[in-house]
Amino acid sequence: MIDQIRVELFKLRKRKITWIMIIVLAAFFCLIFFAVYGITANPPARMPHEGLEIMRNLITFPDAFKMIFSTAQNIGAILLTIIVASSVGNEYGWGTIRQTLIRKGIRYQYVVSKLVAFVVYALIGIVIAFIIGFCLALLTTQWVKGALNWDFITVSYIGELFTMYGWTFYGLFVYILLAILLSLVGRSAIVGIGGTLGYYFVESIAISIFSQSGGWLSEIPNYLIGHNITAILPTTMMQGPFASSGALPSTLYASIVLAIYCVVFLGLSLYLFKRRDVTA
Amino acid sequence: MTTNNDVVVRTEHLTKHYGKLVAVDDLNLEVHRGEVFGFLGPNGSGKSTTMCMMLGLIAPTSGNIEIFGLSVKSNLADILGKVGAVMESPGFYPYLSGWDNLKVFARISRNVTDNRMKDVLKLVDLADRAQDKFSGYSQGMKQRLAIACALLHDPEFIIFDEPTSGLDPAGMKEIRELLIRLGQEGKTIFLNSHLLHEVELVCDHVAIIKKGKMIASGAPNDLIKHGDTLQIRVTDTDKAVALLNEEDWVSSITREGDLLILKAPAKRATDISALLAQNGVFISEMKAREDSLESFFLELTEEETVD
Repeated sequence: MIDQIRVELFKLRKRKITWIMIIVLAAFFCLIFFAVYGITANPPARMPHEGLEIMRNLITFPDAFKMIFSTAQNIGAILLTIIVASSVGNEYGWGTIRQTLIRKGIRYQYVVSKLVAFVVYALIGIVIAFIIGFCLALLTTQWVKGALNWDFITVSYIGELFTMYGWTFYGLFVYILLAILLSLVGRSAIVGIGGTLGYYFVESIAISIFSQSGGWLSEIPNYLIGHNITAILPTTMMQGPFASSGALPSTLYASIVLAIYCVVFLGLSLYLFKRRDVTA
Repeated sequence: MTTNNDVVVRTEHLTKHYGKLVAVDDLNLEVHRGEVFGFLGPNGSGKSTTMCMMLGLIAPTSGNIEIFGLSVKSNLADILGKVGAVMESPGFYPYLSGWDNLKVFARISRNVTDNRMKDVLKLVDLADRAQDKFSGYSQGMKQRLAIACALLHDPEFIIFDEPTSGLDPAGMKEIRELLIRLGQEGKTIFLNSHLLHEVELVCDHVAIIKKGKMIASGAPNDLIKHGDTLQIRVTDTDKAVALLNEEDWVSSITREGDLLILKAPAKRATDISALLAQNGVFISEMKAREDSLESFFLELTEEETVD
């Protein structure tokens, strides 16, 4: 099992798309930080002072950390979906799934080793996002506030940073499992990428529509992935353009709903992969 | 007499249905240790499905497969440790080099060292191109890498699905020699090839399936003998046909121009000669027509395209 996980990590490391996604992640971070800084440096005439203050906080320490983790989750979900689905789906297209299974034969190991490799990749990805965001926030804090003040760094705050890291990963984990499931169901990367990203975007539209309706319809978002991930995101505690407009469930409730999704996605993936013939 | 230890593969009433389509129908076969076993059949006859079932990629609808005396259903991981397979379309990562591809599969196999990887690359003549990306390989190189990959863990039983696909004549000869060498080393080989001449040259035993059912099985020479054919040229073909049709050991007579093609045991040549001469028909030419596995196969499968 350990050997198979090492092999999966080796394959990820050797793929160009892995590195391209990290470059795209860095580019997104630069775009977001510099765009927000641009707005705060030259605010629109009608922008209220309060709104301007919230935007400044987003790109300056200490709130910049929340911004970093939330951006890592939002952009990371899309980029990870592409990597995960292409990694799983292309094994069918290349015929490598057959080549692997005729060596080991234990199918659950194949799915689990891939999952572990993606988890490691996601954890490293969040660290990379943190480093990129931290460097950018150093610059923007300097530009906005003129000086850096580290007084807020305490032992409990560092603990809080680890908590934010954990929640960010949890949000990504659900999408990793969804992308694996859909790629296995469709036996292709296209189905995995299209299905997961399609769900991601359609769900966000559905959440805004349902949130604005009345009665039982307004309760539906409480059972959807995106709404519950929003509930655990660090920026939820903030206001401004990155905060959710609707009422969000509690962190505990959101964690449980997401855990149910994780169990269902993983269980279905293992079940389907074990049961189905591999003819690709 | 064969013992259970001699049997490497045994299928019993092996059946696979895809909805109403019966891909493999009550297939019973045995492959013995050290045998080079040819598995033939037209397109869609169930050969690949059978091979995939042996490797645990496809679950049978009913029936059993035992490899090395162990059930594929319950002992797949143990079985695969002793089995290698070269599938028709080699499955490798296009973005990795040949070496890295081998490394990937070596790491998930048991006890494969870097030296062993070098050895198998040398064996298939790919050592010089090992660092090139797989996506840049020719079809023949891809096939050779697949063979190297199948041999990595020194398997006792090797399944080859069209191993010479995409190879030039020299490459085909090399693979043929490799198959013979592996057979001589005591490996058991299960070979699916549409090149019947190749099968005839290397296989000790052949099974032919059609629509999922076994229709013939035996040593190539024995199978070919079923169709002993004699070719004769006579002074009076009509009279010769009438005379020979009276004999029950002549199973068929066909005309090819002024030649008569008889399906009859070759040992009856003197009887034919005597019979015709006694009746005033004289033979100007008689020879045994070289039957081949190919003609036997085509006869059995009604000249369907061979895959």
